[in-house]
Amino acid sequence: MTATTTASKPLSRAGTPSVSLRGLTKVFGGTTVVDHLDLDVAGGEFFSLLGPSGCGKTTTLRMIAGFSDPTDGSVLVGGEDVTSTPPHKRDVNTVFQSYALFEHLDVRGNVGFGLRRKGLDRRTLDRRVSEMLELVELADKGREKPSRLSGGQRQRVALARALINEPKVLLLDEPLAALDLQLRHAMQAELKALQREVGITFLFVTHDQDEALSMSDRVAIMNNGVLEQCGTPEDVYERPTSVFAAGFIGTSNLMSGVWSHGSVVVAPSVAIPAPAHHGSAEGDTVSVAVRPEKIWLGDHTDEMFRLPGTIEATTYHGATTRYRVAIAPGLALTVLEQNLPRMRAEDRWDPGDRVEVGWLPEHTVVLT
Amino acid sequence: MVALGPAPAPRRSAQRTWLWGALLAVPTAWMVAFFVISMVIVVLLPFGRTTNDGFPVFSTSLDNYRALWNDVYLELFVRSVLYALATVVLSALIAYPTAYAIALHGGRYKNALIAAVVVPFFASYLIRMYAWKALLSDDGLVNSGLRGSGLGDGIAFLNTPWAVIGGLVYGFVVFMILPIYASLERLDVSLVEAGKDLYHGPVRTFFSVTLPATRYGLYGGALLVFLPALGDFVSAQLLGGAGTYMMGNLVQQQFNEGQNWPLGSAMTVGMMAALTALMVAYLRATSTQARET
Amino acid sequence: MPRRSLERRPRTAVAVTVLLFAWLYLPILAVTLFSFNDKKSLSAFSGFSLRWYHDLAHDQALLESLVASLQIATLATLGSLVLGTMLALGLERVRSRRGRVIGAVTLLPLVTPEIVTGVAALLLFTGIGLKLSLTTVVLAEITFSIAYVTVIVRGRLAGLSTEVEEAARDLGCTPWQALRLVTLPALVPALLGAGLLVFALVFDDFVLAFFTTGVDPQPLPVRVYSSIRFGVSPAINAIGTLMLLVSALLIVAALVLLRLFGRGTSSLELITGGERR
Ligand SMILES: Nc1ncnc2c1ncn2[C@@H]1O[C@H](COP(=O)(O)OP(=O)(O)OP(=O)(O)O)[C@@H](O)[C@H]1O
Ligand SMILES: [Mg+2]
Repeated sequence: MTATTTASKPLSRAGTPSVSLRGLTKVFGGTTVVDHLDLDVAGGEFFSLLGPSGCGKTTTLRMIAGFSDPTDGSVLVGGEDVTSTPPHKRDVNTVFQSYALFEHLDVRGNVGFGLRRKGLDRRTLDRRVSEMLELVELADKGREKPSRLSGGQRQRVALARALINEPKVLLLDEPLAALDLQLRHAMQAELKALQREVGITFLFVTHDQDEALSMSDRVAIMNNGVLEQCGTPEDVYERPTSVFAAGFIGTSNLMSGVWSHGSVVVAPSVAIPAPAHHGSAEGDTVSVAVRPEKIWLGDHTDEMFRLPGTIEATTYHGATTRYRVAIAPGLALTVLEQNLPRMRAEDRWDPGDRVEVGWLPEHTVVLT
Repeated sequence: MVALGPAPAPRRSAQRTWLWGALLAVPTAWMVAFFVISMVIVVLLPFGRTTNDGFPVFSTSLDNYRALWNDVYLELFVRSVLYALATVVLSALIAYPTAYAIALHGGRYKNALIAAVVVPFFASYLIRMYAWKALLSDDGLVNSGLRGSGLGDGIAFLNTPWAVIGGLVYGFVVFMILPIYASLERLDVSLVEAGKDLYHGPVRTFFSVTLPATRYGLYGGALLVFLPALGDFVSAQLLGGAGTYMMGNLVQQQFNEGQNWPLGSAMTVGMMAALTALMVAYLRATSTQARET
Repeated sequence: MPRRSLERRPRTAVAVTVLLFAWLYLPILAVTLFSFNDKKSLSAFSGFSLRWYHDLAHDQALLESLVASLQIATLATLGSLVLGTMLALGLERVRSRRGRVIGAVTLLPLVTPEIVTGVAALLLFTGIGLKLSLTTVVLAEITFSIAYVTVIVRGRLAGLSTEVEEAARDLGCTPWQALRLVTLPALVPALLGAGLLVFALVFDDFVLAFFTTGVDPQPLPVRVYSSIRFGVSPAINAIGTLMLLVSALLIVAALVLLRLFGRGTSSLELITGGERR
């Protein structure tokens, strides 16, 4: 399959979704850890569940896999209610964060474990295991014990062990978290390529926004057990719908103000024109957000909304330069500027310089 | 959000399995059958009596429990407790320095040293008692050594209280060493360092910092030594004589020679009662202490 | 610069340790040495000989006792391994109040003086009309050993990630299959260690065997005890040396298997049943 953006309409891919959660709730001793989660993951989709630590991601996955009973709500896999189906009868496989490899079996034993349970004959089993090891580039490690493998190799064994069963959906709980940064980037690319090749639905849990944005067809942002927003990476990045989503993914210039005549007044002298936002009326307090990289300094085109400002601070970040620009007393914007090929050091603004900032009206996002 | 039905039908858990319950049930049944019930019999049999042809039968008499209140038995009871306490004290005096030396100054031989202590202790209690007896006997190595070096005609070690207590210490001191060693291992050395600055001098530091910090090891060890020492009959049998007999010997006699099982059971219950009282006192002492700290 | 006193060796403690080791090993070494003496003396070594071992090899009753003790130890080890492992698994997985009560009860034999356990077992067996024999010894020894196995296996189970068992369930195992194919193989070192330990303890155990054995054949420690009561002899030295050797080897093997040396004393405490949380 290919990564498409049609996923913004979740069920457009036709057919039943791979996984559906209906009002899924989990309460641990009085604390609601997962709160009425509703979600549909389409077949073949790479779907990420993104959220800060402790927001209930693992708990959600465990309920889908069947290791934990929901307090309320139901789990559907391939359209079938599996809420009271024991884990071994669910057409779901998991890649555990700790990998949970079987240390007493060699790599082939680990990878072939699920198929052997299904009673496949030896021949087919051997062939399938070999193919799978080929796919994850572990063909020469078949007879090694897991304890002798590197972190990345163990991760791939865990992946192969789950994938070989061709489940309706593969659950991955922060599978890359234990890897160092370089390996992690390599594995992100590999994992994505692998998912396209096998076409299995991935439900991928992470708290790393880069990972979620770069790999997923769709991303769901979770906070405190509640689904904050769900959409394509572009959707959630460009058009966050909540203050939490805007703050959690990337950085945003968040300002709160009052609706007045099609603008949001964030300071006595600053009224930012904003698209109409349903549910908000004249005089309501709302938040607006603008991404730092959407803001231009200096020469602007006419469609842009413009404001005068003063550079407060300049920080050089290699590929980019970050400015703090004061636009009103006590109100400053962060602006990110690419260090383009033709730019020289003396072209940078210095603190104290008077500048004009501007951005396209559609880059103003109104949040609730 | 999906509306929840008015009364959602109780759902079956995806975790349901009879496996763990079954695994638990079998050994539990075994322990009830062979341990719990046997203990109940021990407590109940003293209410019974021995028939003329020597069979113990259940009854409702208090005679056997009453028979315990008798000078001979009380003396033995007190003696046993005293021997066991002496064993605890001597064990602590030996075990603490040993555990201290190994835990804090054993370096990389620490594990080997502690293993060297443990291994012989778990190898045949009986043979070690025998070895101790062979060494102390009148024609044993110690006495012949004494005679050989002209230090008198040797000493009659055996048949004295100290031989019996020595045997008990020899048998059980390891149960004191291990918990103390464990608590010393966990000791925070910086605490001792701080104590040095505060109290000046290693001796005062030891008594005001190290010893209190490792008291649970000491308490645990005391309990673990006291329990088997109080019930022991091998040491008194092999190293002592009638004058040094302990409760264990009495019980053993009732079952093997006297054949008065109800009375023997009463003695066993008396021993357990003493132990239980001490255990409860110990547990209460440690739990209140733990709450205070 | 004078060294800090913490780093200085505490002379008294070291002296006590040396004395303890001497006290611990000297009698054992003496027993061993005089088992090779060619005279009957236990104080003067006059020459090396294997005559006492030779005598042992021809003592029919003693050999029968040896075989009996080996049988008892083997059966008790197998029985307590099965029951103790079941109990450990049940207690780890069924985390209810009832489970905790059961757990406490099953550990009671560890803090009950052996003589009490022995008396109780004797009363039970006669009460239900079981004739005292090697069977009754085995039953009593199993009851006594379950706690050791349970404590050791639980220690290992606690260190095992529950995710591994879940992974097996995820890959299509029923709870029983997950246990058999994944959890039990991971427990093998602990089971071996516990087995060796229980074997050594039961093989040597005197008190329980003394109360629960029939007349013939008697377990080895019981037979040795009756000989010891009548005095010391080189023949006992010989059998004692062999018994010490066998159990010392078993214990060392158990310690190595349980990796006690690597993980410090917490596991040593498991063996003694002491200081459990
Ligand atoms: N078995 C349990 N009993 C009680 N509370 C639990 C249990 N499992 C999880 N929790 C609580 O539920 C909350 C969510 O846990 P969860 O593991 O789902 O978070 P997470 O989103 O996966 O976090 P992380 O990114 O750190 O893995 C946490 O506050 C945790 O303490
Ligand atoms: Mg998690």
